[in-house]
Order: sequence, then C-alpha cells, then structure tokens
Amino acid sequence: MAYHYVVTAQKPTAVTACITGNFTSPTDLNLLVAKVSRLEMYLVTPEGLRPMKEVGLYGRVAKMKLFRPPYEKKDLVFILTARYNAMILEWRTGTNGELEVVTRAHGNVADRIGKPSENGILAVIDPQARVIGLRLYDGLFKIIPLDKDSTELKAASLRLEELNVFDLEFLHGCSNPTLILIHQDLNGRHIKTHEINLRDKEFSKIPWKQDNVETEASILIPVPSPLGGAIVVGQESIVYHDGQSYVAVAPPQIKLTPINCYCRVDERGMRYLLGDIAGRLFMLLLELQEKMDGTQTVKDLKVELLGDIPIPECMTYLDNGVVFVGSRLGDSALVRLAPAREEAPHYVQPMESFTSLAPIVDMCVVDLERQGQNQLITCSGAFKMGSLRIIRNGIGIQEQASIDLPGIKGMWALTLAEDSQYHDTLVLAFVGQTRVLTLNGEEVEETEIKGFVSDRQTFFTGNVCHDQLIQVTDEGIRLTARAAGGWRLAARWAAGARALSVVACAGARAVAAAGPRIYLVAIGDGELQLLAEVCMEEEVACLELGPGGDAALLGVGLWTDISVRLLRLPDLAPLHTEKLSGEIIPRSLLICVLEGVCYLLCALGDGSMFYFTVDQETGVLSNKKKVTLGTQPTVLRSFRSLSTTNIFACSDRPTVIFSSNHKLVFSNVNLKEVTHMCSLNAQAYPDSLALATDSTVTIGTIDEIQKLHIRTVPLGETPRRIAYQESSQTFGVITMRVDKLELAGAGGGGGGSGGGAVAARASASTSAASSSGAAPAPHKHAPPAVDVELHNLLVVDQHTFEVLHAHQLLSTEFAMSLVSCRLADDPNHYYAVGTAILNPEESEPKQGRILLFHWCEGKLTQVAEKEIKGGCYTLVEFNGKLLASINSTVRLFEWTSEKELRLECSHFNNIVALYLKVKGDFILVGDLMRSMSLLQYKQMEGSFEEIARDYSPNWMTAVEILDDDTFLGAENSFNLFVCQKDSAATTDEERQQMGYMGQFHIGDMVNVMRRGALVAQLADTAAPVARPVLLATVTGAICLVVQLPQELFEFLHQLEERLTHTIKSVGKIPHSFWRSFNTDIKTEPAEGFIDGDLIESFLDLSRDMQQETVQGLQIDDGGGMMRDATVDDLIKIVEDLTRIH
Amino acid sequence: KCPSPAAGGLASVSARGAEAGSVLARVVRRELGAPPARRAHARLAHSHFAHVRTLRLQDDDAYFTHTIFHPTQQQLLTATSSGDIRIFNLFTGVEENSYQVHESYIYHMQASRDGCLLLASSTTSWRTLSALWNMKEFEQLFQLDNEEYVEFSKMSDDRIIGTKGETASIFDTRTGHELMTLTPAISNQYAKNRATFNPTDELVLSDGVLWDVNTGKEIHKFDKLNQTHSGVFHPNGLEVISNTEVWDLRTFHLLRTVPSLDKSEVIFNPTCTALYAVCSDQDSEERSQFDTSFKTLDPYDYSSIATIDVKRNIYSLGVSRFGTQISLVENLGDFEQVQESCVKLYDVGRKRDHDDDAEEEEEEELAGG
Repeated sequence: MAYHYVVTAQKPTAVTACITGNFTSPTDLNLLVAKVSRLEMYLVTPEGLRPMKEVGLYGRVAKMKLFRPPYEKKDLVFILTARYNAMILEWRTGTNGELEVVTRAHGNVADRIGKPSENGILAVIDPQARVIGLRLYDGLFKIIPLDKDSTELKAASLRLEELNVFDLEFLHGCSNPTLILIHQDLNGRHIKTHEINLRDKEFSKIPWKQDNVETEASILIPVPSPLGGAIVVGQESIVYHDGQSYVAVAPPQIKLTPINCYCRVDERGMRYLLGDIAGRLFMLLLELQEKMDGTQTVKDLKVELLGDIPIPECMTYLDNGVVFVGSRLGDSALVRLAPAREEAPHYVQPMESFTSLAPIVDMCVVDLERQGQNQLITCSGAFKMGSLRIIRNGIGIQEQASIDLPGIKGMWALTLAEDSQYHDTLVLAFVGQTRVLTLNGEEVEETEIKGFVSDRQTFFTGNVCHDQLIQVTDEGIRLTARAAGGWRLAARWAAGARALSVVACAGARAVAAAGPRIYLVAIGDGELQLLAEVCMEEEVACLELGPGGDAALLGVGLWTDISVRLLRLPDLAPLHTEKLSGEIIPRSLLICVLEGVCYLLCALGDGSMFYFTVDQETGVLSNKKKVTLGTQPTVLRSFRSLSTTNIFACSDRPTVIFSSNHKLVFSNVNLKEVTHMCSLNAQAYPDSLALATDSTVTIGTIDEIQKLHIRTVPLGETPRRIAYQESSQTFGVITMRVDKLELAGAGGGGGGSGGGAVAARASASTSAASSSGAAPAPHKHAPPAVDVELHNLLVVDQHTFEVLHAHQLLSTEFAMSLVSCRLADDPNHYYAVGTAILNPEESEPKQGRILLFHWCEGKLTQVAEKEIKGGCYTLVEFNGKLLASINSTVRLFEWTSEKELRLECSHFNNIVALYLKVKGDFILVGDLMRSMSLLQYKQMEGSFEEIARDYSPNWMTAVEILDDDTFLGAENSFNLFVCQKDSAATTDEERQQMGYMGQFHIGDMVNVMRRGALVAQLADTAAPVARPVLLATVTGAICLVVQLPQELFEFLHQLEERLTHTIKSVGKIPHSFWRSFNTDIKTEPAEGFIDGDLIESFLDLSRDMQQETVQGLQIDDGGGMMRDATVDDLIKIVEDLTRIH
Repeated sequence: KCPSPAAGGLASVSARGAEAGSVLARVVRRELGAPPARRAHARLAHSHFAHVRTLRLQDDDAYFTHTIFHPTQQQLLTATSSGDIRIFNLFTGVEENSYQVHESYIYHMQASRDGCLLLASSTTSWRTLSALWNMKEFEQLFQLDNEEYVEFSKMSDDRIIGTKGETASIFDTRTGHELMTLTPAISNQYAKNRATFNPTDELVLSDGVLWDVNTGKEIHKFDKLNQTHSGVFHPNGLEVISNTEVWDLRTFHLLRTVPSLDKSEVIFNPTCTALYAVCSDQDSEERSQFDTSFKTLDPYDYSSIATIDVKRNIYSLGVSRFGTQISLVENLGDFEQVQESCVKLYDVGRKRDHDDDAEEEEEEELAGG
C-alpha cells in the first residue's frame, strides 16, 4: 500500500470572481474575491483593502453573485460550484465578535443526465431578488425561487428552446422576472427575452427579440431602471437595445481584441468599465436624450480607452474611482481612475498589486545559495504578465551592514536629533557596560550620551515623553532631558536595597521589578514618580506592558511557581493568574494586538512558547497554545513592517510571528541565530532591523511578511519551460511572445515592401543583452493586424536574473520542451530544445526539431539540429542520452562522436506522450488520455519494454515517479492518483497492470510535478515524512505530496474523519464529496491520501473543539502501547506537519 | 474553411469558446488555464484506431456474430452462430470459457452494469428467443419467448424491455414478470424495431412512437422517414436519432438530417464524446449486406470524425467500459458461407502505424489478412 499526505504550501492565487457589496454590515463596503476554492473578504478603507476573513470552500467556485432580498439590510452571496453545489452565504459577526460565514441555504442542483453546456455554467439573479436562474445543461434553464425562510435550494427545470446560449441576464424593471439571452443557431446569433411565470414555473411569453446581432456577441449587460434594456457587447460592435429601439456603435478601439469582462460604475448604469483580453480598460458611456414624453432614452454610446490593467478575468468597481481587477494570468491589482487625463498617457493609475503565481506552467527546484534550502523558480503568468518567480520558504533578511561586536546583551534604537523621525543612535548593552553608536549616514561611530551610565548593563533605554530619554540599569532609572549643550540627567529613581532585574517601559510609564517587588514609575517632565508598588509571591522573571493608556495591562512572569500574572495599571491590581505547566521558567513576555486580537506570548527558557488570547477588559487568558521555536531561551520583540505589527522571536532558530487570517503564523528567517533585535528606522537604513548574534550586529531589511517569500522577475512574455544549468550558472527559459503583424499599406502608405511583425511591447526576448536566431519572416496571406507568436530560448543569469541572450526560433515553430543535459562523453553541458512546427490545418504537428545549444563565455552556439516527425513535448536526459516524447512516440537519441543525435530506439503505444520522468532505467510516460505507463530501457538490446500500464482513461496533466514501484499522476478533472506496479505478481496480466493505491480530488489542475521540498527535513519531528514532491497548478497553488508511515497515516486518517464532523463546511458540502475522485465516467471515494489542509485546520480550532476532536483517539506512546491521545499530542504532530512546507 | 482568427494561436486563451485545431496548441493553452477542450481531444482520439489483438474460434463450423466487453472484468464476450458465448481474456487473448446458451445464431447480447446478468437474443428460422442469464455459471434465469430483441432499462438494470415486431414489453428483471405492453395504435412497421428506454427511464421509444412509461400512453408518433430503424435516444436526453433524422425530443421538430447515419446502428461511447455508426443493412429478406467500415461522429453536432475501413464485413461493434477500446466482429465471405471469422480489438486514439515506414505494410496486413 501507499500512504500519502497532500497539503497546500501556497494557496491558489488566480482570481476567478470578485464582487463589491455590503456583506459584513450594512455600512461596511466590502470586496469579496474568489480564488478557485477560497473566498477572501476585504474591507474597503481609505487606506486600501483590509483583509477580514478568508475561508476555504469544498468546491471550485463556478459562479459567485451578490443579491439583496427586500427584507435584508446587507448583501448576501450566491455561489455555485463546478460540481453544482449551490449555496447562499452571509457574513455575520458572531457572539464572540468574530466574523463567521453562515450558510443560509444550500443544495445540489445537478441532474443525472443532461448535456453540460459547452459555454460553461451561467448563473443570474433577478435584480429584485425573486429568483436565481441557472443555465447548466443545454436546452434547460433552472430556476431557484428565493424564499425568505427556505434553507434548501431546490431547482426547477424549464425547457429552454435556445440550445446554444452564450450569455444571459435578468432585465431590470420588469413586473415578472424577465430573462434576456444571446443564442446561436444556424443563421447566427440573436438576442431574445423570456418572461418567467414563477408560480407555474414556466416561461410565459417572449416580450421582445432581435435576430442577427453580431456574430461574436457574447456579453450582455443589463441596464438598471429607469432606462432598462441591455447592452450587447460583440467583437466589433456594442449595441444598446431596450425592446423598442436600439443604438449600435462600432468603436475602432475594441476591434483588435475581444472584451471579456465588465463592471458597472454608477448605480444608474450610465457608465461601465470594459476589460479586454490584452489587459486594456475602456469606459463605456451611455449618452441620453429626452423624449417627447419626458422620459429618457439612449442617444449614443461612447467608448474610450482608459489605459492598461492586468489581463482581467473579472473586475469590480469599489468606490471613488477605485477598481479591483482580478486576473488569473498574473498579479491582480487595485487601480484608480484619474478624474482627468494627466500628463501620463492614460487614466489608470496602479494602487496596489496582489501577487499571483498563476498559471505556473513549469518550475525547477534548486539550492542556489547552497544553504541546504531549496528555492523554487517558476514560469508564472502569461502574455504581458509573464514572469519568473523565485519562491523560498520563510522570511529573508537582506543584509545592509554589519559590525563585529561580541557579547551583546541588549540593543535599542534612539532618536537624539530634534524633531527627527529617524533613529540615529544604537545603544548596546554588554555585561557590566553600555556602549552608544551614532549612525551618521552609513557611517557608525561610538559616542556617549551625557546623563547615561556606561559602566553598567542597560536593561532598557528609549525615547519617552517630553522629549526625554530613559535608561534603566540595575541601580535604577535615569531620565535624561535635552538641555542647552546637549543632554543632561534630569531625574533618578532607585528601588532601594535590591537591584532591579527586569523592566518594561512604554510612553509615560516604566515598570521595574526587583526580586518579587514591582514598581510602577510615572515619567514626568524632568521627574520620576513612584505610583504604585506590589509584592508578588515569587521573584519576577519577566515583565511586559500591554497596549493602552493609564489602565494598561501588565504581564508578569514569575520564577518558582512558573506562572504568568496579569495586573491592571495604575494600581497594579491582580486580574488573572495562569499557571504554565512544566518546570521551565518564562523568560520573555509580549502583549500585542494583531489583526484586532490581543495576544500574550510567553517564551520559556527551553525555546518553547505559550500563547494566549487576552480579554483586554478582564485580563483573562484563553485559547492556550504551545509551540516550540528553538532550543535556547527566546527573546520576543515586536516590530512594525508595512504598517502591521509583527513579532520577532530571537533564538537559535529565529522566527517571525505574524497574524494571517486571524491565526498566528510562524515563519523561519534565513539567519542561523539571533540573540537580540530592535527595529531601526535610520535615514540610511529605513524600515530596517538591527539583529545581534553572538559576534555581530547586522542591519538588514526584511521581506514582506508572509510564509512563502516570492520574488518576481517580470518577462513581459509567456514563459513556457525552465531548466537550470549549474556549470554555466544560468537558467534556460523558453518563452512565447505575441507580436502584431502589420501589413505594409495597412497604414495607407508604404507600398509593396511586405510586412513584418512588430513587438507589442518591450519584453525579455526583445530587450536581451544579445540575440540570435531567425528574423521574423513576413506572412504571405495573413489578414491584417493578426497576432504572431514567436518563441525564444532565453539564457538568464542565475544571480541577477538578467536576460543574457535570446535565441529566436522559426516563425511557425513552437518551443515545447527544454532540458539542460550532458551527453555521452562530451564534457559540455547543453541546453536541448524540442520544438514543433505548427500548421493550423493539422490536428497534430507533423514536424519539429531538437536543437542543442552551448552557452559558453557569453556566446550561444547551436551545436546540433535534428529534424523529427512531430512535436517534441518533453526532453529528458537519460543515461547520457536524450529521451524525447514526440507525438505518440517515446524515442531515445544517442550523442555520437560526430556530435550528432542518432535515433537509438522508439516505443509506440500512446496517443500523445505528453510527459516523461525517469529513474534509473525506468521511464514513466504520461499520455494525453491513456493515463500512465512504465517503460524499461534494455541497455543490452538497446530497446524499450513496456513493463506496466494503467488502463484507465485518465487525461494526464503531470506525472512523477515516487519510488521504484509507485507513481503519482494528475489528470484534467482535477484529481490526483497513485499507481503501483506489482513486480511480485504471479501472472503477466497482473504485472502488466498498475494497481490504484490512492486517489484524491485536489480541486486544481496540476501542471508540473518535481521531486523536492522547500524545507529541509527537521530532526526529531513527530511527522516523519518521505519522498516529497512539489506540485504546481494552473491557479498558482503549490502543493506538497509526501509519503507517510502506515501508523501515522492511520492515525491521521482517524483525525481527518473526526475533523470532518467538527468543522462545519461552508455551504454544507461534505468533505468526502469534495475529495472524492471525480471524472466524466466515475466518482469514487478518496483513498490513500490524507487531506493535509483539513488536518492543519485542527490548529485553528478552539481548545474545547480540539478536546472534542481528540476524544477517544488512541496514540502509540512510543513503546508500542496505545493510550488516549491528548490535545497537546495532536498539536505537536500537526505543528510538525505544518513545518514540512 | 478559413480558420477563425483566434483559432490558431495562444492569444485567445482567455477568449470564450474558441478551440485550437492542433492538439499541441490545446495542450499549451490548457497549461495556461483554458477550459479543457474535451470535445476536440475526443475528435482526435476517435479518428485513429490501432489494431491490438485478433481472436479466433478454434472450431470451424461456427462464426462470430456479436461482441461486447465485460462490464467489470478484463474479458470480452463473444457470441457465435451456433448459439454459444465464448469468453476471452483481454490480456492474453486466451479463450477462458465457453457456454452453450442458445441453439443458434445469437445476434445480440447485453450485460448488466454490475456484470452479473446477461441478456442474449437468438433466432432460428422457426422461432426467436431471448433469455436472461446469470453470468457466473451461465444459468438461465428465465426465457422471454418470442422477444426478438431485449435490453435493460437505462438508469438501473431493474427492468428489461423486449421487442416483438411492433410491440414493446417491459419485464421485471428479478422476476421476469411482464409489467407493461406497449402496442402502437397504428404500426409504423419498421423492419428493425428495437424498443428502448430514454436515459431517465420515463419514456420508451418503440416503432417510431414515444410512450410515457408511467401512464402507458402514447405521447407522440414521429414521422416515418425510413423503413428500418425506429430510433434511439441520445444520452443527453434531448434528441432521438432515427436513422438519418435527429428529432428534438421537446418540440418533436426535426433538428437535422445526418446522411452518414443512413441504415446504421448507433452506439455511443460511455463518456458520450463519440458515437459509432455501423451500417448493417439487414432487412428481413436479404441479410447479407454488411458494410466493411464503421464511422465515428461527434455526438454534439453529428459532424463526421472518421470512417474506418477494415475491409471485412462488420457484424458487430462493442465499446469497452471506459471507451478506450473497441471490438469488432469481422467476417469474410458471404452471410450463408462465412469463410473466415474473427474478433479484432482496437485501441481508440492510438495510431495504427508503428513507424512511419511500417505504415504501408500494416495496411497490407489489414487488407490481406
């Protein structure tokens, strides 16, 4: 058997739908974004978008629509998944103050038979929220009447005469719900309206229709009342029609590329934004005129090009000229429409960009920095949004400067200059002394501050109220004020007999402890005043002042009884006592508010940390959780990055703690060890961190705070394949760029000089440092302004990612495959490129080439060319030879001493052999529609033998070899499966047939699989996993598949089963339904895979729910005996599982 | 025909509907998130058939008459002119079992979806007989005397519909009891009437008449435009294919005429991405007219995909469970005097040629035998 765990390391980033509405409250303006199977709710604020809540859905969002029933004060959302689960969702603030998603109604609307429409699912909601309309199958229209109290969504089918429907909408201002649709028959495309009788559930009449609209008309825009009617958008024309009259325009701007989405700008429906597939934004304006009877009609339609945006999939207008543009071919964006045309050539100004890796078509796993940590380089995005992305786990610190200074015990940044917003001084504490460094530009020099003691170790220093400085040492608190000639001591305060040991300070207050006594000292203008004093039962180990003014919370960690106390200022009244289990004393406390939730974090001396949520009124701690950060005492420090507060845990395994989707996320940092840190915002080092190790102080900037760090190298054209060549320190990338072919004479002048392709914009292949290859040949019979696709091999520097060279292929040649290889005895490393000559009339390519290039000393040389009879889909280095899949064949080429590729042997048993993976002498082949097969290369005979095959009709999208007998495949209905060959079987028949060992609906189309992981395996983990494989998808997700030991698999399988009961799914879709293997011909329960995303959601549950989940679960105590599992057992296992990605 | 401007390239990846003609361009687009071009891929697959294996009878008197794939096992069921069913292993080609179930020519078989039951119809000059068999030991469960043609209902296997001339009878699969008889008021007298359920088992088409199964009443009588075929339902539940005519089941209007389906038996593949048409011009007097080729069509618009000539008379065509293989009964010689009989297995979608050079030899092999 095979046991696998599949988990998402990077959630899908492609935006598939977006809507604006008042979802979370009647006054909140929200943006709801659907990313395949995830929903992200944002609040629109003057500062930008604020994430509110993200939820996963057990289904792919096919349609998402907003509506507001008359009895509601806010908007509801209707969602239909690709597997026909319908639901109505409400975002509501629950009793505990948390935003939750409530399923108001749900149901499955699938039919057992029916012809799913080739034009996809269409869903519309009547503007008066009386009924939802769905077109799922040809010839049928389903309606779901919207009743207030119904919790079940039940669809009734109406017979729709029009079979081939391209778009449909409900018209506004109709007494009965009235549908308008574009349909096609043998004569062309037409628009037609249907009135629906809701009581009898039938179409009652056809109010109006218009035959023969534009042949490419595909979008309907209903216009709100009082105008009513609809706009029909075609490829060349835009028509407004209200049943009586129509206005048509054919704006030349829209002719070149089809419009594919729109959004309404104003409530009245006079202005619309249109987006086209080239990523251009247009404004469509209805011009009105008054009729005789005083009503208004449309006089004219105006279309204006506004500017460039990401290639849109969907758009929504937020407010104040701000538009969200969702894309699935690259980063989505928030743009602002300028009220008037500025100096800039267009109206569109980018405001914010949302990173998206989608679609990832290829990737390679490399350890460029040789630190034992892999990076992933992906071919992401398409067309003008094509890019390479460098993805690394954890947060990177980019070192700016470093100073050798051993033995640092503490570090603070100060501002000494008057009225400055920048830090200019760094105070460092050592055992028995304190040193002050001045930052003067990039220069650092040692100095002194008058009034500071330098022969003692500073416990705390900082800028405090009234333009003063505070310094706390064991002997007491010193307040230093600005004086005429510099700084001077203004006040001192000492505790008395015992020396101070710990201190916390904020604004106008300092809290210090000496032994068990805690003193609250007010900081005044030139004075320090003891406000309160308490004596704890035990000695104080750490102190932390919470946020808030005079009545802030004070956290105290105690020795001996190992507890955390919360006290209330100013009288230091005890509020809450939390005993920590164990014998390790708390060493560092932090109270902070992240995403509106107040946390108390308490790091212990052994590198572990407890964290709680704090009730800021009562000081009660709840939701206790424990994590292990390192093995050494940990110091917690908060810092700000991009206006959010984050936490840095200094230890032997430095960690950045941040809040994402109201959950604390722990992300490692690319530094070996950090003992102390402080934020530093100096003029020369803005928004930086100062980090101290045993021997040095490093000043560096920190990456954007997220678990996976992504760096973008824009290409401006579509990357197709990537290969890494270590010997030349380069990446090979094949790209496709679309040029506009412009015929001479098209502009009116010229005359007979032929035509040439013109690059649409500067991109990687046109702006490479050097170039070679074919010049674009003029097309003879091409229609004007047609797009031409040009394929290039780029050589990219591995350090700078600069494009060193671009080699252009022939004008009809598609670059399909790329590999870096070393062949036979030839010492050189070559880039091999497999191509296909594309002829639009052929259903399959008949010709292609395999080209070998050598990159050496800044020059690209073509060393070999081999003509082949078909398209070369994949190239792999195999035993010093070149293995290629060419149309239906797998062929092996050897590299002769004459430096030629010579065909050695072939295998023919595929329809289209799309994918190849090799291990030893074995070759795994992924077919277009005949699943996977395994070949063995017989070295002696020089031939292939087919060892085993999966006989199911799976349409493969990626394959990978897990081990000698186990193979992972992904197919185009978004499923994963594992096949195993059975070498020990008794009959040939059994041996030749691969057996199914696992199947799972991953819900996304996997484009590429590579062996490797982003995180090195940790020693001493509760999650011993093996043979990681990274998967990347069309929607920009990165997933990890690992093998599990059988016992862990079975344990997690029980946990998974329990979690499906504990966790309420959005839309009430059963987890088992979502993960079931589902294709056109079969639906079978998932098996052999653990859903890691579900397992990890255990950590998000409250302690009570975790307890409930654990009830009755048995765990091996390590010695083979079974005992009841505890919540902490589970947390340990699940947390370790979260660390594998 | 001019390719549409968007069809050739990638640029239209986000455009709706446009499909690339080349499989290569479709694969490239799929990576970027274009909707799966199932239909175009299916067209490509159903234009090539590669011969995999030939099965022959060891004894000589009889010849093959019908073939179906076992619904759950890797086996092929074949029927013969002498009334037995031979079961072949698909991997080895070895004949694993043989059962004498009828006394003469079996011209139709159908297995239940779970692989437990088998319907077989046989004819002699004096009587026709259909029967239900248990597929484990081939015990006869019951006989349906005089039923010329029988098949299971579509949603489940719990009912059997039999045809006797113009009359259709519905039987309970468990008991063999007759549940209903449907006889048209005015017969159309199709030569090869084959009563059939629609995909939801609510309707029956027999002798050109549409019946409501719940009430047993006639709903509609389609115009008779041919002599042979009463018609079959399209699995999409919206159309009836009656010889060359395609009727809209909702309006009863003629949707289109498909000349290539003339006199053909229509078989859909399981995913309904292709339909096979086998011309079997057997009217009651002269049954020797078998065609040597079969056609594949796109069931969305009935456009032709390919015509595959096997150069022998095709008596029957079977499609495997997932539609990845087909089996053909290929006989040489006259109906009365079959010279050579075999069942050939073909892989759907795989090219016939092993190598470009071997192409001609292969063709010769097919032609010459």
